Amino acid sequence: MKDLDILEKNILSCKNIEDIEKIRIDIFGKKGVLAKEFIKLASLSAEEKKDFAQGLNSAKERLQTSFDNHYASLKKALLEEKLKSEKIDMSLYGGVSNKGALHPVAETMDKIIEYFVSLNFSVEKGPMVEDDFHNFEALNLPKHHPARDMQDTFYFADSKLLRTHTSPVQIRKMLSSKPPIRMIAPGSVFRRDYDLTHTPMFHQVEGLVVEDKGEVSFANLKSILTDFLQYMFGSVEVRFRPSFFPFTEPSAEADISCIFCEGKGCRVCSHTGWLEVLGCGIVDQNVFNAVEYENVSGYAFGLGVERFAMLLHRIPDLRSLFEGDIRLLEQFR
Amino acid sequence: MIVTRNWLNEFIDIKETSDEELCIAFNAIGLELASTQKFNIPNKIVIGEIISCEKHPDADKLNVCMVDLGFSKRQIVCGASNVVDAKYVAVATIGAIMPDGLEIKHTKLRGVESDGMICSANELGLPNIGNGIMMLDESIGKLELGKNLNELPMLNDTVFELEITPNRGDCLSVYGVARDLGAYFGKDLIEIKEENNSKKIKLGISREATLNVQGDIDASVEIKLAMQHGDYTLPLLCMIRLSSAGLLEKDNLQNISQYVMHTTGVIFWLFDADYFKNDESKISIDIEKSENSLNCIKNPFGKLSIVGVEQNKDSIANSKTQQVILVAQYINPNILNDIVSDKKIEKDSIFYNTSRGSNPSLESGILYMTNILSKYEILDIYDGVLSHKVNTEEKTILIDCIELNSIIGQEIDRSTVSNILNKLGFKVSSKVENVIGVTIPQFRPDITNIQDIAEEILRIIGIDTIEAKPLKIKENPHRDSKISEYRLKKQIRNRATAVGFYETISYVFSDAALQEKYNFENIKSEFGLLNPIVTEMNVLRSTLLINMLSSAKRNSNYSKKIIPIFEIGSIFDENRIESEKISFLWSGQKELESVSNHGKPENIDMSTFLQKIGFVVGNFDLQECSFKNALLHPYQSANIVIDNKVCGFVSKLHPDTQDDFDLSDTFVAELDMDALVQKHTLANEISKFQPSIKDLSILIDKDLSFDSIKKVIEELECEKLNSFYPIDLYMDKSLGDKKSLTIRFAIQSLEKTLDDSELEDVMSKILDSLIQKSGATLR
Repeated sequence: MKDLDILEKNILSCKNIEDIEKIRIDIFGKKGVLAKEFIKLASLSAEEKKDFAQGLNSAKERLQTSFDNHYASLKKALLEEKLKSEKIDMSLYGGVSNKGALHPVAETMDKIIEYFVSLNFSVEKGPMVEDDFHNFEALNLPKHHPARDMQDTFYFADSKLLRTHTSPVQIRKMLSSKPPIRMIAPGSVFRRDYDLTHTPMFHQVEGLVVEDKGEVSFANLKSILTDFLQYMFGSVEVRFRPSFFPFTEPSAEADISCIFCEGKGCRVCSHTGWLEVLGCGIVDQNVFNAVEYENVSGYAFGLGVERFAMLLHRIPDLRSLFEGDIRLLEQFR
Repeated sequence: MIVTRNWLNEFIDIKETSDEELCIAFNAIGLELASTQKFNIPNKIVIGEIISCEKHPDADKLNVCMVDLGFSKRQIVCGASNVVDAKYVAVATIGAIMPDGLEIKHTKLRGVESDGMICSANELGLPNIGNGIMMLDESIGKLELGKNLNELPMLNDTVFELEITPNRGDCLSVYGVARDLGAYFGKDLIEIKEENNSKKIKLGISREATLNVQGDIDASVEIKLAMQHGDYTLPLLCMIRLSSAGLLEKDNLQNISQYVMHTTGVIFWLFDADYFKNDESKISIDIEKSENSLNCIKNPFGKLSIVGVEQNKDSIANSKTQQVILVAQYINPNILNDIVSDKKIEKDSIFYNTSRGSNPSLESGILYMTNILSKYEILDIYDGVLSHKVNTEEKTILIDCIELNSIIGQEIDRSTVSNILNKLGFKVSSKVENVIGVTIPQFRPDITNIQDIAEEILRIIGIDTIEAKPLKIKENPHRDSKISEYRLKKQIRNRATAVGFYETISYVFSDAALQEKYNFENIKSEFGLLNPIVTEMNVLRSTLLINMLSSAKRNSNYSKKIIPIFEIGSIFDENRIESEKISFLWSGQKELESVSNHGKPENIDMSTFLQKIGFVVGNFDLQECSFKNALLHPYQSANIVIDNKVCGFVSKLHPDTQDDFDLSDTFVAELDMDALVQKHTLANEISKFQPSIKDLSILIDKDLSFDSIKKVIEELECEKLNSFYPIDLYMDKSLGDKKSLTIRFAIQSLEKTLDDSELEDVMSKILDSLIQKSGATLR
């Protein structure tokens, strides 16, 4: 047998897998160095055999360990080489998402709905083509009441109309179920107005709560809407101003401190420091009379989703929301 | 509604109240502040008296004036033509900086020295009161020569524009707004009192005129008679105030009436007395009801003016009229709106006030009018008044204070409630414990019940003082399907964005001509829109796709190369029945340019488009297209079938339509939202044995659809056939009118691994059936 050190040196000097494979055959193969040495065993006496075999086995073990270690390191180097060759410039592939985006108005509506659903409000729907009763009469807007001027209406030949607000859904819900009621009604509404700040269609979310008489107060309304507006706009101040809606009494409008100038006064808030965001009030007795509810109390509120979306996302042009302009939409990816 | 601080001050003492406090007060009591504007007359503008005025020697249009400023006299060249009539004027002295930034300097005008400028109202930043320089009179205060104009309180004013809600007709006057402010600030209202009327005509009105009332009249009127004597100018104060309110007109007499109406809220009509003179030259005024219940003021020849609505145009007095009849009037707005409803009659601008409720206190209006007329020596007024008064009972409602508190959600003590109501003009009387009687003044027809009273209390004590209290919630589960419907819709929308679509929202309107052009139905005329806003939106849409194509066109004009949009929205059929659709449109490239596509992405194709829709809506089948519209490509369109129900279509856009909208390759699909319900799945047993995969290539007629092949295979109801799907299509001239279709079959049993003969059995059954029923041959 060749000198053990030389054999080991041969193993360790291998630079690649092919060479070490050759060496493996030379040393450990059927006709390899070790095999030849083992053949010699047969010609030895029992005494000699023992020592010889012992020496041979330890030599084999030593060679095997060296071989395994070196083989593993060559294999590792080979993998390293391969991986290196697979290198690509990952930065080339960033920023090319082909994902689309939800419409900011719809997305804002989602956010609003989630809030009220988490407070156990139901989500109600109603038809866009309404009749006078549900859209006006039952909401304490008798015919030729000046308050109807507030809402320029689209009419059809058969005297139906396009709902001017989501409030008729309140009436439909109250007529079809019994109190208590806790609902919101998101949806499209229509007014005959078309200029920089008005579109003939826009979106509202209406809310209604009905409980036993004496249960629902203006203080309750203030509580939920303050929390809701802070959920939507972050840490803003909320202010309530008395106002008028035919279907609520007392009525109020809620303002938030201007999110652009933090209440200091800017162009967006007409230098008032406040932004008007929703209308609300205690449900007028006449509305309950129209749906034949007795001994109940309730509050209602309504808001324009476009206004929320425009404020939240600083969208400058209302009409652009309805033009499917991808330059606007792709910003919301 | 426009008020100014000094105007308000006539009725409520707010001298010590700052503008900021007023702004807060307006918003707090529900008179929403739309804008404020402060008069800012610069310094060094002083009162001057023109002592002489001569033509400029070298300029026709200029005058050279000598002006006494008290402390000295100045020569000033003035270009305004009305300077020749002027006495007291506003003079900008040297060094004054005008609101537009101009600094007044000593100058020479065509060789004549000029030491200042005589100003118009506009130049001083005051509201426009007409051409020429502003002539000062004592209506704005005592005119001391040399005094700074901005030291006159009347010119140191702030204009507030308020938005008055339709229920608050009582606040459509300066007087009414003052009353509301009075309640807020806890101050008494300064009532209108008779001032010393020196210019009264001793003659009584009844010597000249008679009033005949016939029938049951709903309106109250008070009539005065006056004589106009020659020219007069409107007091400067009235002019500035009217102009601030946007009410300044040409005719001085009409201006007076506007001024009194805006101040007091009492509605006035000024008639030419000649209009009411009968054959004997006596003034004869009839008030009666017309056939259609309108309250009319009639002249002897049957010409009508409708109280609260419209004054006969021929009867209106102007500054040239000699004898003027002043008619103050009131009609309850609820009655008026009832009468006027459904009648097509022209309405004067005063209808805005009368239909919301004008001031019923005609006496105070007449008083204010006569005060003004005699104070400024405008008209001489006859003694006495002709009147008709409707007797209305004052309504008293009982208010349970506990109920009142439960509406507000906070305890408001009874004396506070009484105080507020008193200040607002209500009469409060004590009834039994916790109950008060509230008598509603005639000027508040909007107040009918306890909730209205709650609003009055709330707005005066201020909503800010109410502590927010969360509502105690009772268990009230909403187990109906609407929330899950909403959530499903949201999932679908999110999936659509995940595969690249942008959500759009378009108007539910469309252009009827366009819908017709592309063979979509239009609503029958008996259900049609009566008052569309523009032609492009003259009908409710019956498809989402036309609006989406318009959006795509717009995007293409903005050179967007990849236009993937979807919309969920309502459409309306010819009977105007609403249904909800989800529509997809993809136009142009299938992806953005990138390194992976070497900057040359391919255009969208049918297979990619279908795959994307599949990601959004789940699995569907495609069958021969049964829809008919001009969007469809006749040979690349199909019905979309979900759960064996046709629920929409998918198509490559017809090349003609593609050209109409300037688009490149475009694919569209429209589906019923209803079809996309959340499925409830019952699981099948999963076989423990490997499926065997077998491919079968057959030759069939070119026009035969896979769908028909599919039906043939499905009819076999082969239990072991797990699934099958087409994997290759080959067409070549050598095949003639045939095509080669390769179908992959997965065959599997629940009990065991199938052996070759069993597999062969299944496959030959399929092949036999295809040969017999579809005319297929094995390739």
